[in-house]
Amino acid sequence: MSWLVDLTDVSKVFSSGAKTVALDGVTLRIGGGEFTAVMGPSGSGKSTLLNLIAGLDRATSGSIVVDGVDLTRANETQLARYRRSRVGFVFQFFNLLSNLTVMENVLVPAELAGVPGAQARARAKELLKELGMAGLHGSYPSNLSGGQRQRVAIARALINRPALVLADEPTGALDSGSGEQVMALLDDLNQRGQTILLVTHDAKLAAAHGRRIVTLRDGRVEDDARIEPRRSSEPRELVRLGAEEA
Amino acid sequence: MSLRFGILGLIAEEPLHGYQVKQRFEEVLGGTWEVNIGSVYQTLQRLERDGLVATTGDRGDRGRQAYRVTDAGVSALEEWLEDPESQPQLLREEVYMKLLLLGRRSNGSHSNGRLQRLLRRQRHVYLQRLRDLADQEKIAREGGRPQLALLFKGGQLHTEADLKFLDAVVEQMESH
Repeated sequence: MSWLVDLTDVSKVFSSGAKTVALDGVTLRIGGGEFTAVMGPSGSGKSTLLNLIAGLDRATSGSIVVDGVDLTRANETQLARYRRSRVGFVFQFFNLLSNLTVMENVLVPAELAGVPGAQARARAKELLKELGMAGLHGSYPSNLSGGQRQRVAIARALINRPALVLADEPTGALDSGSGEQVMALLDDLNQRGQTILLVTHDAKLAAAHGRRIVTLRDGRVEDDARIEPRRSSEPRELVRLGAEEA
Repeated sequence: MSLRFGILGLIAEEPLHGYQVKQRFEEVLGGTWEVNIGSVYQTLQRLERDGLVATTGDRGDRGRQAYRVTDAGVSALEEWLEDPESQPQLLREEVYMKLLLLGRRSNGSHSNGRLQRLLRRQRHVYLQRLRDLADQEKIAREGGRPQLALLFKGGQLHTEADLKFLDAVVEQMESH
């Protein structure tokens, strides 16, 4: 079986000043179409792992292959091409460009990837419509709510049809209602086949949406659990407000 | 939590007979508490003895007796509703006892492996529980039952704390 994300014995050591081992021999394989959540306390290596898979940083040792691209051997040009076309990013603080409109923000990765303008605009329009942002093409980020900004960021992440969407605490800056809407969008994308890697410190979020939960601790994989959606569960088997003693 | 004030609260809304109390109770709690009919009758008798409810009307065609709230019952209910809950915290997680006993047994490192295995499996149980509770919360919310959704939200927060407790166990193991 070939994996969409294939990390073998990956380590990352930061050696500016004191030597810090951020990742220590991580092996992790993710198949296409999975919704995986990576969990762990701060300092556990989550962000480092995400940056390596995103091609934003390089491993000290080990091998990382994503969508057939060997990130450990790729040169800078290849890495830049990989980031533009194979992965989509959704960040906690949206990272939209404030001087560009909604439409222009969504088009940035397409322009960088050299997608013809008309084709990219058609795709952006379709995505914004799907995400409930159809009337807001000309708005600027500062006029949008947090939830709307994150939807623009999701459209931007999807514009180049990436193999993998990386979502780093995507609800961290949102109120609970907007956060739930954003997660429902990610669920919906996943149900249509999009592979999603969610990074969060929030176990509730990870379990409510991931089908697989990888827990990191001190730079190692502490746990790798499969979660089954079982909507048919008996409420009484989950919560008992007052159990009468048997 | 005793049935006492739950039943009193429902009867304060309208007179009910024993079986209706059971049905109403289970309905408002979304099936999270299955009440024994025997306990309902026993509680009703105690409430009547204490003057908080009284029988009302004739016995129905199946010999069922309805109860209504009394003035004393209303006062007792109002007082209970305003008081914060301040019983000692009920900690009866079996996992704590297991961890404790496994820890006491371990003189060598071999049972440390058992402890780690238990921790891992317990973590999986909690994660699955979080998922199931989140699904139930969603079902309740979509079904227009926000109060019931809150009950499942509360369950998730407790389960999150259970997971953090496992983290604390791991941290303590590592520091020894």
